Amino acid sequence: MNENLFASFAAPSMMGLPIVVLIVMFPSVLFPTPSRLINNRLISIQQWLIQLTSKQMLAIHNQKGQTWALMLMSLILFISSTNLLGLLPHSFTPTTQLSMNLGMAIPLWAGTVITGFRYKTKASLAHFLPQGTPLPLIPMLVVIETISLLIQPMALAVRLTANITAGHLLIHLIGGATLALINISATTAFITFIILILLTILEFAVALIQAYVFTLLVSLYLHDNT
Amino acid sequence: MAGPETDAQFHFTGIRKYFNSYTLTGRMNCVLATRGGIALLLYFKLGSKKTPAVKAT
Repeated sequence: MNENLFASFAAPSMMGLPIVVLIVMFPSVLFPTPSRLINNRLISIQQWLIQLTSKQMLAIHNQKGQTWALMLMSLILFISSTNLLGLLPHSFTPTTQLSMNLGMAIPLWAGTVITGFRYKTKASLAHFLPQGTPLPLIPMLVVIETISLLIQPMALAVRLTANITAGHLLIHLIGGATLALINISATTAFITFIILILLTILEFAVALIQAYVFTLLVSLYLHDNT
Repeated sequence: MAGPETDAQFHFTGIRKYFNSYTLTGRMNCVLATRGGIALLLYFKLGSKKTPAVKAT
């Protein structure tokens, strides 16, 4: 039971060969490139969703920030599609791997910070000291703000990893409990099954929300630096 | 929001002109001074560790 609980988070392999790269690339197959002026239903719906999301997400940005539009939209599409595909039974979810999420969070965060230091050096440095800070608190606050800046990519990655991993573990546990209770008490098994259904609905929402939160935070870090 | 356009309302003199928590330049200089101080502290602390104490014979 204990070994089976974490088996779904192990890197997948087929006949001894790692297939994690194929799994990471798979969501791109679900978003075909529009090739006509008026496309089929799938592409039209996807285009509508992408336009809706991009309008809302890029509204706060100036011209420099909006050059990141493709990056931010790719990010939210990748994370949401990966998270949703991970809810299929027996599938592997790449976003449960901390290495993967750190690989997304650190370059994006570093990109925003370097952009800020390159184009607005004074404002980026001044950002570490809130306006109106009393004199005795200045050194402490500079240290605190520096630490909070360095924590940002870790928080981004760990938040996504923990949320998705916890959801998958809960589904696994409650599903196992439902199966175990069928022979013991049908009523309790039924109640546990209802809880499982509600949890699965919650996990669908969490999958989309976590993708949105990740992208929104990267967008906010970019907004602070442009 | 702080910025070069709001800095004009502050009139500091002396050292407060360059080190304060209101203007953009003042805040930047405070941040650089704090970090520079910490860097110097670490440099001298780590530097003194490298020099071994002379043993009495």
